[in-house]
Amino acid sequence: MAGSGKAHMRPEGDVVLEVNDLVVEFKLGKNQIVKAVSGVSFDLIRGETLAVVGESGCGKSTLGKAILQLPKPTGGSVNFLSKELTTMGKKELRDMRPAMQMIFQDPVSSLDPRLPVSEVIAEPLRVWNRGNEVEISAKIDELLLAANLDPAVVRDRRSYEFSGGQCQRISIARSLALDPTMIICDEPVSALDVSVQAQILNLLQDMKDRYGLTLIFISHDLAVVKAVSTRVMVMYLGKVCEVAPPEELYQNTKHHYTKALVGSVPIPDPDRPISGNLIQGEPPSPLNPPSGCRFRTRCPQASDLCAQEEPQLREVSLGHFVACHHPVGE
Amino acid sequence: MNILRQLLRRLIPMFSIVVIATFLLSLLMRLLPGDPAAIMIPNGSIDQQIEIAKETGLDRGLFGYYWKWFSDVFTGDFGKYYLNGGYRDLGGVIADTLPVTLMLIIYAQIVALTIAIPLGLASAYKEGKRFDRITSTVMFTTVSFPSFALALIFSLIFAVNLGWVDPIGYVSPSENLGEHLKLMILPVMSLAFGLASGYTRLLRTDVIATLKDDYVTMAASKGISNRRVLWRHVFRPSSTTLLTSAALNMGGLIGGTIVIETIFVIPGIGYEIFYSIGARQVVAMQTLIALISIGYVFFNTMVDLLTQITDPRTRERRA
Amino acid sequence: MPDNSLSSTETAEPVVKTKKPRKTIGFYLASAWISLVMFLALFGWVLPTPQWDEASYDNLGVAPFHPSHILGTTNDGYDMMASIVNGAKISIIVSLVAVLIGGGIGSFIGITAAYFRGKYDFAVTMIFNIMLSIPNLVLSLALLSVLAYSDENNPASMTRRVVVLIISLIIVIIPILGRIARGSALQWGSREFVLASKSMGSKNFFIIRKHILPNVAPAILAIGFLAVGSVIIVEGSLALLGIGIPGGASWGSMLANGRGNIEYSPHEVYLPALCIAFTVISFNWFGDYVRVKLDKRESKI
Repeated sequence: MAGSGKAHMRPEGDVVLEVNDLVVEFKLGKNQIVKAVSGVSFDLIRGETLAVVGESGCGKSTLGKAILQLPKPTGGSVNFLSKELTTMGKKELRDMRPAMQMIFQDPVSSLDPRLPVSEVIAEPLRVWNRGNEVEISAKIDELLLAANLDPAVVRDRRSYEFSGGQCQRISIARSLALDPTMIICDEPVSALDVSVQAQILNLLQDMKDRYGLTLIFISHDLAVVKAVSTRVMVMYLGKVCEVAPPEELYQNTKHHYTKALVGSVPIPDPDRPISGNLIQGEPPSPLNPPSGCRFRTRCPQASDLCAQEEPQLREVSLGHFVACHHPVGE
Repeated sequence: MNILRQLLRRLIPMFSIVVIATFLLSLLMRLLPGDPAAIMIPNGSIDQQIEIAKETGLDRGLFGYYWKWFSDVFTGDFGKYYLNGGYRDLGGVIADTLPVTLMLIIYAQIVALTIAIPLGLASAYKEGKRFDRITSTVMFTTVSFPSFALALIFSLIFAVNLGWVDPIGYVSPSENLGEHLKLMILPVMSLAFGLASGYTRLLRTDVIATLKDDYVTMAASKGISNRRVLWRHVFRPSSTTLLTSAALNMGGLIGGTIVIETIFVIPGIGYEIFYSIGARQVVAMQTLIALISIGYVFFNTMVDLLTQITDPRTRERRA
Repeated sequence: MPDNSLSSTETAEPVVKTKKPRKTIGFYLASAWISLVMFLALFGWVLPTPQWDEASYDNLGVAPFHPSHILGTTNDGYDMMASIVNGAKISIIVSLVAVLIGGGIGSFIGITAAYFRGKYDFAVTMIFNIMLSIPNLVLSLALLSVLAYSDENNPASMTRRVVVLIISLIIVIIPILGRIARGSALQWGSREFVLASKSMGSKNFFIIRKHILPNVAPAILAIGFLAVGSVIIVEGSLALLGIGIPGGASWGSMLANGRGNIEYSPHEVYLPALCIAFTVISFNWFGDYVRVKLDKRESKI
């Protein structure tokens, strides 16, 4: 069950990002420490879309921000384009920023309501002095068109005049302005209506193909993840549970937590019996996580071993890794 | 979370604020141009000045002076007015003047609430109608009318032109209750006017919000009379906000009474501050200002604490 | 490829049009009064009035509408119109300067405290709380009575007293506007566009200038107008207590001087009193207008 390990790391291949034993902790009051991320490792190969999945509070958003050093993680290493970010000085780190961008969960809150759309998109270009006014203006139009927005209509409006989906398009356009290598998408569609979600997912897919992007896609929604990802990493309470390609993960679920997550995805079939495998209760507090496997308090198969020893990630089939002492079906 | 811990969590910052604020006031004494003792008795001999410096702790360093001042006040020795003919004990002065100021403030609060409650309720009930619009405009205009300007205009109209009351003076209630109340009318009205406007606006906003709550619609749909709905289901919940605000105003009013007491020559604590400045009693002034600040901080903390203990909503939110 | 944007399927919600709050008659009256006072403060010297500090001993305490003294004279023969004009200048300069400088310093401290957090924020909050724990009239009273102390041995010049008055008022204003700025900046600083700007490599002060300040400014402005009003009241109160600006040079000071003559020349009292009241009320109307406008905008965002 939820544990650590690095069996899933791939030394070969064009690795864009390599994260090792990443730890993020926050001080809460005097003696309390929130252990948001506890020793997560993974790598990311150029052109890949890695989905990070877990229920809210499992540390997946914190993980995304920690990769960008916002704020710097408590421990571990983040190696991006063969450069170590965690030990970098302010200046060097700033020089790395254009290559790694982020799209946020709340599309409205991620745009400054005082700025017209043209200025929102121009901001990264101005921060980095990319071209004169004419060039910037041309680039704005290009990006808006790429995001399926009509520049003539959109440019001078402000974010509050738009729907959530449109705001997210603007965010995507902005994140592309600096020609990034990698974009971290933090729940980019979870604040949107289902009808709009598909449009934004398609847009992201288009952008990825067109600009050769590598994506980290953070989500709590397995249905969404299935549509976009090439590899899925399931997280629980700051730890990795299972890593696998999406089809494999669905058809051959190994971790009990993943199984519960898969079981909770609504399937539009009225005749299908309701799955009785839903996990009970709330996740334990990250202030004081359980010993051994962190999922054991809610796991149907938990044993004494789970309390004593933390499971390590191991390969159960090609490209499918699980951190569990008693995987499903074994 | 138990009450004792809540109490401590409030009292510790309160105490530190009091210590730092009073320390800064002591520091101010040291910034006076010249020797404070010489300022207090300009015609006194050097020996007298040395005596006073010793008595007040002014002969010590900044921290020594502060410690002397603080421990004296803490043990109930509030110092003296050093007058040419002798001295007056400040503790006695405070005992005489504080009740007068408190009386003035309480009268003002009572008058303000008496005006504000019916006006606020009626205004909210008739939201958007002409009555509400007029009340709101008038209240908004008067809430910012400075009380001292009001005081001067009132005394011009009612005392000088109409001659209904004396423009200045004070009689204690035990001496002559009728005369006491008569003399208090103008100062109380000057203070209450702005307060009443503030309370009316507050109550109006609160009641309008409450009137939109589902349970009020429910009560109305049961057929309960308007008057009863307004009183039982609307005013009662809204009154907490109003009373909290009124309680928090108590401290601020002490500041406002300084000018009002000076204009109407009412022997309250505010008038004493005015007097101490005029008589160059800088140490007494320091003590009086410090006491007002302590009272203000103490009162606000207590109100905050009480609302937290009595209102389960805030208790839960903070826990 | 472009989906004509606003007609796409996502446009379920209509485009919100910015609707301005209704300007009431009070707002127009307030604007008119402030303009008049500003005009008098700036260009009052063009009016054919006597010098405000030169008494005319032939006309002691004449009532308003006298042929050579439109607003009458004081009991000591000073022209009221000239005094009001001069008072407007001093009162407006004192309060605007105090609020602009105090508001500027307070906003800077408040915004940076909210942005950088940590120990700096803790210290700032603590200091603000201490300063706010003394009623503002009492605080300026203590500062002024000490810093501008004046007697025969230590005469304080008029300039010194005005400067000290302004400094005391600045000290009073800093925590009031600083706390508002901090609260508002905390709210805006937690928005994701700030994080977005950081993630694209913007520097801290660039973010503060470009994203936080413009969003916080309306809240500061609304309270700033109210602060101008309170500063005018404090100035008047201090003058009445005899430690503000002396010699009838400001409206408050005129009140203090005229108070003793209330029976003989009442216009000495009601003219400056009404000037103070109207100015305070007008600034409050402005502040309220900005606040309502702000609320409307906030509810949209």
